[in-house]
Amino acid sequence: MSAALRLVLPAHSPDELAGVWRADQLQQVPQAVLSSGHAELDAELPGGGWPLGQLTEVLQLQSGQHEWRLLLPALKCAVAQGPLVLIGAPLLPHLPALAAAGIPAAQLLRIDARTPAERLWATEQVLRCRDLGALLAWLPQARPEQLRRLQLASTTTQALVFAFRPEAARHESSPAPLRLTLRTAPDEQGLSVELLKRRGPVIDRPLTIAAPLPVMAALRKRRPLKDPGHAVDRPATLRPARRQPVSA
Amino acid sequence: MLWIALRPCAPPDASPSAHEPPPPSPEQQALAWWALGFSPRVCVLEEAVLLEAGASLRLFGGQRALLQRLRDELAPAGGTGLAVAPTALAALALLRTLPPADAGATTSAVIPAVSCPARRLTAMLDALPLAQLSATQAHAPVLARLGCRTLGHLRALPRGGVSRRFSAALLEALDRAYGQRPEVYEWIELPEQFSARLEFNGRIEVAEGMLFGARRLLQQLAGWLLARQRGVLAITLHWEHDLVRRGELHNGHLDVRTAEATRDITHLARLLSEHLARLTLPAPVLAIRLDATETEALQTTSASLLPEELRQGEPLPQLIERLSVRLGADRVLRGQLLADHRPQHMQAWRPAGEGAVNSKPPALPQHLQLHPPWILRIPLRLAMQGERPLYQGPLLMLAGPERLESGWWSLLSSAEAEGEELAQRDYFVARSPQAGLLWVYRRRSAGEPAWFLQGMYG
Repeated sequence: MSAALRLVLPAHSPDELAGVWRADQLQQVPQAVLSSGHAELDAELPGGGWPLGQLTEVLQLQSGQHEWRLLLPALKCAVAQGPLVLIGAPLLPHLPALAAAGIPAAQLLRIDARTPAERLWATEQVLRCRDLGALLAWLPQARPEQLRRLQLASTTTQALVFAFRPEAARHESSPAPLRLTLRTAPDEQGLSVELLKRRGPVIDRPLTIAAPLPVMAALRKRRPLKDPGHAVDRPATLRPARRQPVSA
Repeated sequence: MLWIALRPCAPPDASPSAHEPPPPSPEQQALAWWALGFSPRVCVLEEAVLLEAGASLRLFGGQRALLQRLRDELAPAGGTGLAVAPTALAALALLRTLPPADAGATTSAVIPAVSCPARRLTAMLDALPLAQLSATQAHAPVLARLGCRTLGHLRALPRGGVSRRFSAALLEALDRAYGQRPEVYEWIELPEQFSARLEFNGRIEVAEGMLFGARRLLQQLAGWLLARQRGVLAITLHWEHDLVRRGELHNGHLDVRTAEATRDITHLARLLSEHLARLTLPAPVLAIRLDATETEALQTTSASLLPEELRQGEPLPQLIERLSVRLGADRVLRGQLLADHRPQHMQAWRPAGEGAVNSKPPALPQHLQLHPPWILRIPLRLAMQGERPLYQGPLLMLAGPERLESGWWSLLSSAEAEGEELAQRDYFVARSPQAGLLWVYRRRSAGEPAWFLQGMYG
């Protein structure tokens, strides 16, 4: 009986088929990724990094928080390929700080699209660009079908594509193959990343990522700031402030 | 010799009486310009456009490949038929054997084509009726009464008698068609400046309606650019209203510029459509004219021997142009670093369509990496709780102060501008219970001290 079955069944086990993976494993299909720069996160992302040419949805309680901490290491690599485009950024990027962190000012393009329709249109157009390195789009009001359009457009590029949305959208369906929430970790130092959706098993505990900004290391070490700035009328030092409220 | 006869989409009425050739019709001219992309030897003969492609065969990969390409691209260029023969008159005669293009035919229909190899030229021409050649058509009734119905019959008559009875020109044309005498034509030359006009059949009421006509003109422009080896930097679309004669209105025009010289017609058409979509016409339009106002020699890349990865998509400058047209140039921005100590003056945002600024970026001091990646364009004044500033909860100062005193020169020029002041500030890194790490400063200058939010460590 079993011999007969063996004749009937195909020789391949499902593991050998392209595009098929077991639900308890991470997807091992070769896909273009870019390391996120955070070892804890890379271990849990399918392929070991941010997917290239796929829409990644980042849900936040408040826009403008932690984006750079999470993405700077990957963006640093991505801008070597092409420009970084920001669409509808909530605040102004501070170019000197970003340049010091490895993102040259000339590689950054800011598109000041205001209405949701304009943002979606601009995002789709940017995704058609063949020179694109990375795209960060703030799309608070995008609907699932609109995101699907963007996801389809993303597949034609080889760029990092991130859509930032409010955390209230976590219960909406989304066509993005990777969704995560981004918050401050309970210890108030690191980042807490919860992978809501990925090509792999469900993960129910949030990951904690250190993702330090240079200023944090400076705060921790409490080392003096070396600033030879001539407009400062006395040597500026980054010294611990008094715990008492600073009087004016 | 390989002569290819092309039939323009609206063949002009052949006027056999005209001894002087009439000036080429706009359709013929458009087709001739397009044909110049394949061979420098293009002429207009009666109702058709002829090109001699014998010298271009190798460039286009042989006769078969060239003809296939011609057939594929003929319909969008405005042609409706194609005939190939070793002599020009034979090609023209063959072209006339093709069924006439019906006016309602879609451009996607298969182009009718006929071809005649050199060894079959005589046999093929012998079988053609007299009406196919203009020179014999005039004498066709007389010849028919003689019993001559085909070119072969005519050729069988004694040459001396034919020459005396009809004319030497008839024999000459016959010899040319059979390739026994050289053919001489005046080759088409391109004008130095591109300017093409198109009259609409009806009146165009909406601006986008002009786009259809503009596309046809752009195709002519493409042919012109290809033959001239140039790329276009600026085009102007003029349109004519029908009320202009009464002096009530002026004709309108639209300038479109590109950042780098291009020959890409789809990009130009997209730019035009973006501009036209925002335009309201004061009156119906009767005709349009397209001028290439600025061109420059375009260096094209040669085809690679190795198969390389084809990169889909449009290049960045084109993207920036299209975004700038739709959203406005002041909303597609590229940053530039400035040497200043005041955080909000450390960068300037310029329209990205203006091209990269070539100035050398200032050297960045080390401490800048301690600045936050997000900054507020106008510092936000913070509310106070007693002596403690608030931003989504009371702030806890972690480090500081970093004292800044700069910007006295801005008092001289534009003191009234928002946020322009003598910057006398103490910067602190603070933590807000909700918003995380913040970059705030305390104003030390005149007036009551106040706290401002300058940036966020996002």
